[in-house]
Amino acid sequence: MKPVVFAIAFTALAMPLAAQWQNYPTPGIPRTPDGKPNLSAPAPRTPDGKPDLSGVWTPRNGLKYFQDLSTDGIEIPMLPSAKALYEQRKGNLQKGHPSERCLGHGVMDFNTVPTPRKIIQTPQVIAILFEAYNQYRQILMDGRPLAEPTEPSYHGYSVGRFEGDTLVVETNGVNDKGWLDMNGHPQTETTHFTERYTRRNFGHIDLEVTVEDPKAYTKPWTVKLGGLDLMADEELMEAICENERDYSHLIGK
Amino acid sequence: MKTKVITVIGIVFAGAVTCAHAQWLDYPDARTPRTKDGKPNLTAPAPRVKGKPDLSGLWQAERSPKREYDAVLGNFTALQPDTYDITTNFLNVFWGMKPEEEPLRPDAAAISKDRRERLQDNTFTRCLPGSIPAALLVLTFKIIQTQQEVVMLSEMATNPPRQIYTDGRSLPKNPDPTWMGYSVGRWAGDTLVVDTIGFNDKAWLDAFGHPRSESMHITERYRRRDFGHMDLDITFDDPKYYTRAFSIKISVNLVPDSDLLEYVCNENERDRAHMAK
Repeated sequence: MKPVVFAIAFTALAMPLAAQWQNYPTPGIPRTPDGKPNLSAPAPRTPDGKPDLSGVWTPRNGLKYFQDLSTDGIEIPMLPSAKALYEQRKGNLQKGHPSERCLGHGVMDFNTVPTPRKIIQTPQVIAILFEAYNQYRQILMDGRPLAEPTEPSYHGYSVGRFEGDTLVVETNGVNDKGWLDMNGHPQTETTHFTERYTRRNFGHIDLEVTVEDPKAYTKPWTVKLGGLDLMADEELMEAICENERDYSHLIGK
Repeated sequence: MKTKVITVIGIVFAGAVTCAHAQWLDYPDARTPRTKDGKPNLTAPAPRVKGKPDLSGLWQAERSPKREYDAVLGNFTALQPDTYDITTNFLNVFWGMKPEEEPLRPDAAAISKDRRERLQDNTFTRCLPGSIPAALLVLTFKIIQTQQEVVMLSEMATNPPRQIYTDGRSLPKNPDPTWMGYSVGRWAGDTLVVDTIGFNDKAWLDAFGHPRSESMHITERYRRRDFGHMDLDITFDDPKYYTRAFSIKISVNLVPDSDLLEYVCNENERDRAHMAK
């Protein structure tokens, strides 16, 4: 049964595998004497001394978390209603995931799905451009508070701040359509995400995410993900989900 | 005939103008200069960064006045109130030009004629990108400017984010064709000049179905006049379909204290089934 499930999960996302636009060497990357990117060099910093997370990245070990966030044995404290929805989605071979209709991912599963994304950091805003599904996130860095959300959306409303060398991003205002993983851990309109990004060195960002949602979970829970690996000398490719033919082939149960 | 045109243009808008304005939270941006009464001072000087104008901000094309539509389309604006959110060039890149002056080659004229019979097939009615210039002519777009590149996020979210490289690289020789093409930018004085090639031939230039080929080269010139206003000239050069290069000129206004709203087109792909032939 497992192979079917995996196959389904990937149909919609696995088209342009790697970004290989022109092989233009990214300026500013430290290199070893043989010209290869030195990924263990120190993380770069912005003129105001903060870690600079800019670059093209892809999640490490993403797939296992993408399938199910409890994969490392963490206990996800679901309320009975959330548990029922999770079991139903998982039992129905993940049919109904938004990606089967080209709707893409949300805050959590974009941190696990192994597709390239580019972080562009400015003092006022950090933009994350995702290669898949033509989506982007904005993390507002100008000191504004997290506001009362008005229109629930897939990516919600995000503000960020630095705590030491860690970028802490708080998000609310998400909709209840996204799934946290392919097995269907639910998110609701009251889900609050706290993401902690620490660029450990030039080539890697550590990432853990805390989920808080009194409508789905009995208490806040945290998952330490595989983090993000730098894709040196790469660039995003355009990926339009225009081949919406998966849906009719998904079987469910 | 007039009714036909009106119907057909109504159809074209069904897909485009679903979420009219970005009004996220009305958060006042501390960097916006203000008059004594606290309103944004849109005629203050344009901000600069490292000696160049900073184009960062949320922008929207100046809407064409109602009379420009009514002169051609009768009471069109009464039937289609959303008209105020667009510019005439969204309908027709040759708006205002005498038909005999339009530089169409016969192939391009034939394609446009055919598409005008099936306007419901415009790319964005299927949640595909409208590309350039549509992304600049209807809904808001946000510019995020860094030293290395200028990012353009379009609220007309069928368009992927654009990256315009300003790190001095040149245009690639033979890029894979894409919806948004490959863009490099450079400063000519205070004007950002953006050259884009590598387009596919799928997007329409306007609602009238004027085509583009893979040889299309678009040059955009952005000049931020003052804090609240930008002049934008767009030149289209596509020798396969047009006998000469041609340009449109629009005015773009800052949308202060606002932001982009998320707009996921695929969620609501229900317009097309209702569109008349």
